[in-house]
Amino acid sequence: MTTRKIAAIVATAAAAALALSACAPSAPTGGASTSPGSATLTVATTTDVVNFNPLVGNSRTDYWVTNLMYPHLLGIANDGSKEPQLATKWGYLNPTTGYYDIRTDMKWSDGQPLTAEDVAWTLNATKKDKPAGTLYGQLADFVSAKAVSKSRVELTLSKPDVTLVDEIGFWGNIVPEHVFGKAPSVATFANDGKDGSGWVGAGPYTLTKYQVGQSYTMDRVSDYPLAPGGEPLAAKLVFRVFPDINTEILALQSGEVDMIANALPPAQVSKLQSTNGVKVAESEGLGYAHMAYNMKNADLAKLDVRQALAHAVDYDAIRKVVLQGQAVSTGSSPLMPVLKNYYDPSIKEYTYDTAQARSLMQKAGYTAGSNGMFPVKFRLIYSLQDSVTAQWVTMVKDSAAKAGIEIDLQGTDRNTYLALTAKGDYDIYAGNFAIMDDPVTNMQLTYLPGGVINYSYVDDPDLTALIDKGAVTADESARVKVMQDAAKIVRDNVYDNIMYTQNLYFAYSSKWTGFVSKPSELLSIVNSISVASAHPAG
Amino acid sequence: MTDKSVDLQTAKARALEESVGAEPIVRDDGRAAAQTWRAFRREPLGMISLGVLVLLTLIAIFAPLIAPYPPSYGEAVLKPPSAEHWFGTDSLGRDVFGEVVWGSQQSILVAVAASAIAIVLGTFVAVVGAYFRRLDSVISVVVDLTLSLPVLPLMILVAALVGPSTATIIAVVAAFSWPEVTRLVRSQALTVVRLPYVDAARLMTSSPLWIIGRHIVPAVTPVIVVSVVVTASRAVLSAAGLAFLGLGDPNVWSWGRILYEAQQSGAMSSAWWLTLFPSLAILLLVLSATLLSITYNDARNPRARR
Amino acid sequence: MFVLPRLGRGLLTIWFAVTVTFLLLRLLPGDPALAIASPNMTPATREVLLQQYGLDKPLIVQYGIYLWQILHGNLGISFTQSIPVVDVLMQRLPWTLLLTGTALVATVIVGIPLGVLAASHRGGLIDRLVQIVGVTGQSIFVPSIGIFLLFMFGLVLGWLPIGGAYDENVYGLAWYGSVAAHLVLPALSLMLVQLGSYVLTMRSTLIEALGEDYIVLARANGLSYRRVLWKHALRNALLPTTTLIGLQLGFLIGGAVLTETVFAYPGIGRGIYEAVTQLDFPVLQGAFLFLAITVVVANMLTDIVYGFLDPRVKKS
Repeated sequence: MTTRKIAAIVATAAAAALALSACAPSAPTGGASTSPGSATLTVATTTDVVNFNPLVGNSRTDYWVTNLMYPHLLGIANDGSKEPQLATKWGYLNPTTGYYDIRTDMKWSDGQPLTAEDVAWTLNATKKDKPAGTLYGQLADFVSAKAVSKSRVELTLSKPDVTLVDEIGFWGNIVPEHVFGKAPSVATFANDGKDGSGWVGAGPYTLTKYQVGQSYTMDRVSDYPLAPGGEPLAAKLVFRVFPDINTEILALQSGEVDMIANALPPAQVSKLQSTNGVKVAESEGLGYAHMAYNMKNADLAKLDVRQALAHAVDYDAIRKVVLQGQAVSTGSSPLMPVLKNYYDPSIKEYTYDTAQARSLMQKAGYTAGSNGMFPVKFRLIYSLQDSVTAQWVTMVKDSAAKAGIEIDLQGTDRNTYLALTAKGDYDIYAGNFAIMDDPVTNMQLTYLPGGVINYSYVDDPDLTALIDKGAVTADESARVKVMQDAAKIVRDNVYDNIMYTQNLYFAYSSKWTGFVSKPSELLSIVNSISVASAHPAG
Repeated sequence: MTDKSVDLQTAKARALEESVGAEPIVRDDGRAAAQTWRAFRREPLGMISLGVLVLLTLIAIFAPLIAPYPPSYGEAVLKPPSAEHWFGTDSLGRDVFGEVVWGSQQSILVAVAASAIAIVLGTFVAVVGAYFRRLDSVISVVVDLTLSLPVLPLMILVAALVGPSTATIIAVVAAFSWPEVTRLVRSQALTVVRLPYVDAARLMTSSPLWIIGRHIVPAVTPVIVVSVVVTASRAVLSAAGLAFLGLGDPNVWSWGRILYEAQQSGAMSSAWWLTLFPSLAILLLVLSATLLSITYNDARNPRARR
Repeated sequence: MFVLPRLGRGLLTIWFAVTVTFLLLRLLPGDPALAIASPNMTPATREVLLQQYGLDKPLIVQYGIYLWQILHGNLGISFTQSIPVVDVLMQRLPWTLLLTGTALVATVIVGIPLGVLAASHRGGLIDRLVQIVGVTGQSIFVPSIGIFLLFMFGLVLGWLPIGGAYDENVYGLAWYGSVAAHLVLPALSLMLVQLGSYVLTMRSTLIEALGEDYIVLARANGLSYRRVLWKHALRNALLPTTTLIGLQLGFLIGGAVLTETVFAYPGIGRGIYEAVTQLDFPVLQGAFLFLAITVVVANMLTDIVYGFLDPRVKKS
C-alpha cells in the first residue's frame, strides 16, 4: 500500500474526528466559589424532567424540580391536614366564594415581587388553556380568580364545594405572570429556559442549567423567607439522573450522591439502614393500594362474590413479605389511619379466610367443579412499572385459587394499563394512589357515578347522597361523621378493596443532616423546606 | 487463477460470515458429513460445548423433576446461597435455583422458536432469491433495508406497544433475525447455483422446487446450521435484554425475568447471587452455542483442520 | 459514478426506516394522549390533545404532512416536552457519538492484535484461548457485567466514578478529565461485547491470506515470518475491519440502551427507551430518522474507504 493511500486514510479519519468534535460537548466555564455555606447537595433520581412547566408536568422529577421553583399556596402536615405556605390564611367568604391571603415578602428570582396577581393569573390561565396537568383536574367547580389586593385572591365557584380551596392550594403551583404570560398558551409553554435569560423561580432554588439524562443544576435563591434563617443553607442543588436504582444505591454508598429522591424498594430499606454512611428517613404514606372489582361484570355485580374475593386475600402476608412490614392496614376503608381526623378504627379489615370465601361463593349460587374451582374467571390488570403491586398480584392469584376462584393476571406497560383502565377493559383493577389527602374530593372522584377514577363503576344512591352531603358540609366534625358513614358503605359493599397504606423510606448520606420529612413520595425529604434546611453534618 | 474482483455486497457478506466464524465453501461430496463429524470429534472444545448444550436442554425438559416450581413468596427474603437454597432467595423469598431451572424452559423455548422462524423464513427467501435471479435484486434490497434498521430500539418499540407476552417476544426477535440469515445463506446459495451440476440439473427438469430441494438446500445446510446456533444465542440475549427493560412476559419464569426482578427491587447492587446465576446460565448457553458453531465450521473446512 | 447509486440507496434506506417507524407507531396499540394525561383528565380534553398532536387526521394525511415537514427540516415538537424534536435529540447525540466512538476505537485497537495473535498461533492453545475470550465477551449479559464493574471499580476500589457523563462543579481542563473517567467503564462494557466479531474476522482473514502464494514467495525470499505477518496483517486488517465498523455502527448507536441504563450515560439509546415509555411519537420518529441517517452515512464512508483501499473492488 502506498504512502499516498495511508495519508488519505489518515486525513479521512482526522476529518471525521474533527467533525465529531464539532458537535462534541465542551467544558463549562466558571469557577468554584469558596464562600462558607457553599456545599452542593446532590440528589439522585431515576427519571429526567419531562416538562419544566409545572402546570403540565406529570412525572416525579418534574414535581421535585418545579416544587423548588414555583411555590404552592398550601403545604401538608403529617396527618394530611393543610398548612400555610405561600398562603397565610384561606377559606370561604360564602359557599361560592373562596379566598387566600398570601405572604408579601416573597420575590421572584429576577427581583419582581410575588403578588396576588400571579396567583389569580395562574388559576385563570389554567382554567382557560386546559393544560394536561393535575391542577386543571382540580378546577371543575372553579370559575375565575381575582386579585382584590396585593395580598388577597378571591375565587368564584360555580357551585358550593367545601374542599376546592384546600385542594387548589395544595396541588397548584403558582407561576410568574410576567414570564408565563408571554407564551400564547400555558398548555404549550415549554419553560425550558431557552428564551431570554433562563428560569425565574421564587426559590428556595432556581434552575440554572441542565443536561438531559445527566443532571439538573439549581442555584440558591438567597432571599427565601420560608427557610429557617431566611436563606437556604446549601448553595447548589444538583439532581442527577440514574435510570437504574442499583446504580443509584452504589453511588450513594460511594458518596457521589448525597440523597436518593425516589422511595426505596421495601427489601432494600433494612439493608441500607444497616449500611455504614447511609441513613434512612421515613415518610408517611398518604395514599393507598387497592383492588377495584368491575361491577359491570355480571359475577362481580353480586355482593357475595365480591366479599368472597375480599376474604381470599392474605393481607398480612402481603404486608409482611412484599412490603417488609412497611405498610399499615386501613381496615379495608378509604379513610386511612394517617388521616387522624377521619380515621374510624371501628371499620375492620376483611379477614383472610378461604373457607368463608368458598361458602360465600356457594351462597351466591356457584358450585365448585371436581378440581375445586368455581366456574368463574376474572382478568386482573396491573402496571408492570409498579413493582410493588406486580409482586403482590401473584400472591392474590394464588390465594384466590385456594378459595376456588381463578384469576388471570394481565400485567402491561403503563400506557396500555392506562388505556385499559380508561375503557373499563378489566374485571379486577389493581393499582395505587400516591396521595389521597382529602376524603371528600377523593370519594367524589372514586365513588360517584361517572367519577374519573370510579374503577368499580359503583352507582349507589345512598353512597352518592352521603358524598354530595359531605361536599357541602362546612363544619369539619359533621363532615367527618358523614364521610365515615360513606366509608362504611364502601367497605361493607366491597365497592373498593383497600389493602394498605405504604410508608415510604428515603436514603441519604450520613454526611448531611437537617432534612424535614413530609408525607408521600412527592414531598418526602425533597420538599422545599427540607432541602433549604439541609446542611453538611458535623 | 480465479477472478479476484469482488463487489461490495459480497465483501460485506464475507465480513459478516467471518465475524460469526462461517466461511463460504461448497461441498458436493457425500462423504463430507462423515469427515466433518470425525474432525469435530477430535476437538475437545466442540465436544464440551455440545455436552453443555445437551445438558441445558435436558434441564429444561426435566425441570419438574429437578426443582419445585417457585412459589409466590417465601419467608426467607434475600438470603445468600446455603444448603437449603443452593442459589439463594430473591426479594420475595423465592428459591433462585428453582427460578433458574424453570426459567431455562422459557429462555430456551424463545431462543429455539425465534430462531426456527427466522431460519425458515430467511433460508426460504435466500434460496428463492438465489435461484430466481429476477427476484434476487428485489430481495437483496429488502434485506439490506431491513438490516439497516436499528434492531434493539425497534424491538423495544414493538414490544412496548403490543404488550409483553411470549408470543410478542418470539415474533419480535424472529422478525429482526431473518435478514441476517438470508444474507449468510444467500452468498452460499449464489455460489452453489452457479455450479455446473445445477446447470445440469436444470437440463433434466424444469421444476425449480426439485432442484432447490435436492441440490441447493443440502449445500447450504452447513451455513444454516451455523445460522441456527448464532441466531438462537442472539435471541437469548435479546429476550433477556427486553425482559430486563420490563418488556418480557411477567407470568412465566425466564432468566431475563430473574434479572429484571433483581433490578427492580434494587437488589442487584448487593445480592450478588441474584445476578450471578441467571447471567451464568445465559453465558453458558450462548457461549457453548457459539463455540459449537465455530468448531463445527472448522471441522467442515478442510483448510482449517489440523 | 461511485457516489450517485449509493446516495440513492442511502435515501431509500432513510425513507424505509422513517416509514416503518411511522407505521408501527400508528398501527400498533398505544394512545399518546393517555400517556401524557393526568388521571383526572376528561375525555374531551383527550380529544383536544389528539388534535394538537395531529393524530385525529387520516393516516395518509398524517404521513403526507410528516414527509413534507421532514423535507423542510422540521422534525416536529415533542409531545411530552413541548420543545422541538431536534433540540431533544441534539442534547443526547454528542454523548452517544463520544461513547460509540470510544468503544469502537478501543475494540479495533484491542481486537486486531488479538486476531493476529490467534492467526499466528493457529490451531494452538493461544488461538483457542483468544477465540474463547472473544466469544465470551459476546455472550455476556451487559447489565450484569455493568453492575459488577461499577461495584468493583466504583465502590470497592473507588478508582472510577459511578454513573453519569461528567462531574458537576468541575471546570476547564479538569472537566475533560472527568468526562474521560466517566467514559471508561461504559466503553469497556461495549468493547467486551463487540470484541469477538473483530477478533474472529481478523483471524479468518489472516489465516486465509497467510496461505496465499505470494506469502510463501516472500518467505522464501528470506523475509522473517514476523515481518511478513505484521506487514500483511495491517494491510488486510483494514478491509474487513472497515466493513465490520459499518455493520456494527448502526447496532452500537441505537443498541447501547442497556449500557446507558446501567451506567446512567445520557445517550440516544436510553432516550429512545424513555420516548417509547412516554409514547412521544415525534421524538421517536426523529430518533429513528437520525439513526438511519447515521447508518447510511457510516456505510457510505466505509464503502468509500473500502473502495479506496482495495483496488480489486469494481467501481460501478
